[in-house]
Amino acid sequence: MKSLMVISMMLVLAVSLGGCATTGELEKVQSQQMMTGAKADQAAQDAQAAKAAADAATLKAEAAAIRAENAVKMAEERANIADEKAKIADEKTRKADEIFHKSMKK
Amino acid sequence: MWRIIELLLSNSLRLAALFVVVISLNGCSAMKAVHEEERLVPRYLEENVELNKFFVAKGDDVIGRLTFITLEKGDTLPDIARHFSLGLNGVSAANPGVDIWVPKAGERIMLPLSFILPDAPRKDIVINLAAMRLFQFKASAESLAVLTFPAGVGTEERPSPMGQMHVVRKVNRPTWHVPVSIARDHLKKGDILPAAVLPGPQNPLGEYALYLSKPSYLIHGTNKPASIGLRATNGCIRLYPESVKILFENTPVKTPVNIVDQPYLLGQSNGVVYLEVHASTQGTAAAEFDKLYAKLRNLEKKSGHTLDWSKVKKVLAEARGIPVPIFEIRPGSGKGIVEPTEVRHPSELYGRPKIPELKTGAWSVLAADLRDETDAVRLAAIINHQGPQIPARVIAKNAGYRVVAGPFNDVREARDAIKRLKIDLEIDGRLIEPI
Repeated sequence: MKSLMVISMMLVLAVSLGGCATTGELEKVQSQQMMTGAKADQAAQDAQAAKAAADAATLKAEAAAIRAENAVKMAEERANIADEKAKIADEKTRKADEIFHKSMKK
Repeated sequence: MWRIIELLLSNSLRLAALFVVVISLNGCSAMKAVHEEERLVPRYLEENVELNKFFVAKGDDVIGRLTFITLEKGDTLPDIARHFSLGLNGVSAANPGVDIWVPKAGERIMLPLSFILPDAPRKDIVINLAAMRLFQFKASAESLAVLTFPAGVGTEERPSPMGQMHVVRKVNRPTWHVPVSIARDHLKKGDILPAAVLPGPQNPLGEYALYLSKPSYLIHGTNKPASIGLRATNGCIRLYPESVKILFENTPVKTPVNIVDQPYLLGQSNGVVYLEVHASTQGTAAAEFDKLYAKLRNLEKKSGHTLDWSKVKKVLAEARGIPVPIFEIRPGSGKGIVEPTEVRHPSELYGRPKIPELKTGAWSVLAADLRDETDAVRLAAIINHQGPQIPARVIAKNAGYRVVAGPFNDVREARDAIKRLKIDLEIDGRLIEPI
């Protein structure tokens, strides 16, 4: 009986000691979990921010591409207008020279 | 401490040396640029260049020297051409792309004052229609001299005659008896010509005429000097007033005149063969080209060297009317090529139309109201170069430019100018009364 008592007490002690260790670990795990959660939240936030930045950059790039395209189109238009003007000027010069040539006859 | 100073000094010296080397290298490239520039722009500007009288070296076919000039504001190619005794065709062909009436100030243009003599006996008068140039040869025991003048020649419809003829008579201050064909042409435009035009500014023959044995054809002066170097006559040969005066004084009656049409001229000077090509509208061009080809082939055969045919093609395509070296008869003879020279722009161009100030009390004519200044300057220049001259200038008005002709002494003169503007230049002028 006495020995049974000792065994039981030892068992209780062992279990108690075991219980104590589990609570500490739990706290540790919980705090780790909390930190991981916070980090995950931060990461998610960062990812969202990065995505937003990427989206903004894409939009900006697209806008720049459109602007560049428009600039090319406008430059082409300007070149066409300049060509047209040069043609008109050449034609005017040719016509003036032709009339002058005719006026030099007797 | 001393070691540090020594180290710094040696580094400084090295840096300084490097700096000097870099600067020197830069100097070399700068010098190279200067030398290249020198080749293009001779440092020495000639005050005068020979225009009309040349001596022909024995065995040579090329006379004169290509010359450059830098244009000034207000210059026109017809004014430059006349001052340097060149035709408008000559200056224009030698400088493709240069605006005849409104060239850029500071533009450097070539004066084609080098000529290959026509392939004809070197005596008396030879006229090359393609080059629009007259040559008068004077031989002595020691040398052969040539007087040369630019000319205006017949149109495609009424070409100048070709072949051998001679001067039958000379007349100072001739009367122009208007041919029926010309009177008819003028009548179509609403211009009634008299049967005869007496000597004076309205007479298109100018002050001197040399009548040729080919009936109805003359070598004469003009009241339209800007037409020299154009195909604008009814077959006659027109010269500048100053040229015809010299020819008239130097040409006795019965002097033979040989008129040829040679757009492709081949000649040699100092062991170098030159090719001069003129644009030709006459029907003889194809036959002349065959002759040129045969001559070039013969040259290759005789010399035993191959010709640079790509160069020949280029000269033919460009047709700039200047002698271009295409072949060295002996290797190294290219050193004998005469380098072009540059002439200083004269303070006043001979024969340039004078534009008197507009007077408020005089009649004038509004020739045009234009938006573009260049167009206005061009039109004013064309009006100024009519024969006889109609003075015209550009007046800036608000956002545009007005071309105003005048001043005229009376309303009759102003109305006459309006008529000429309409008939000759298709311009509807408006009378401006005196203020």
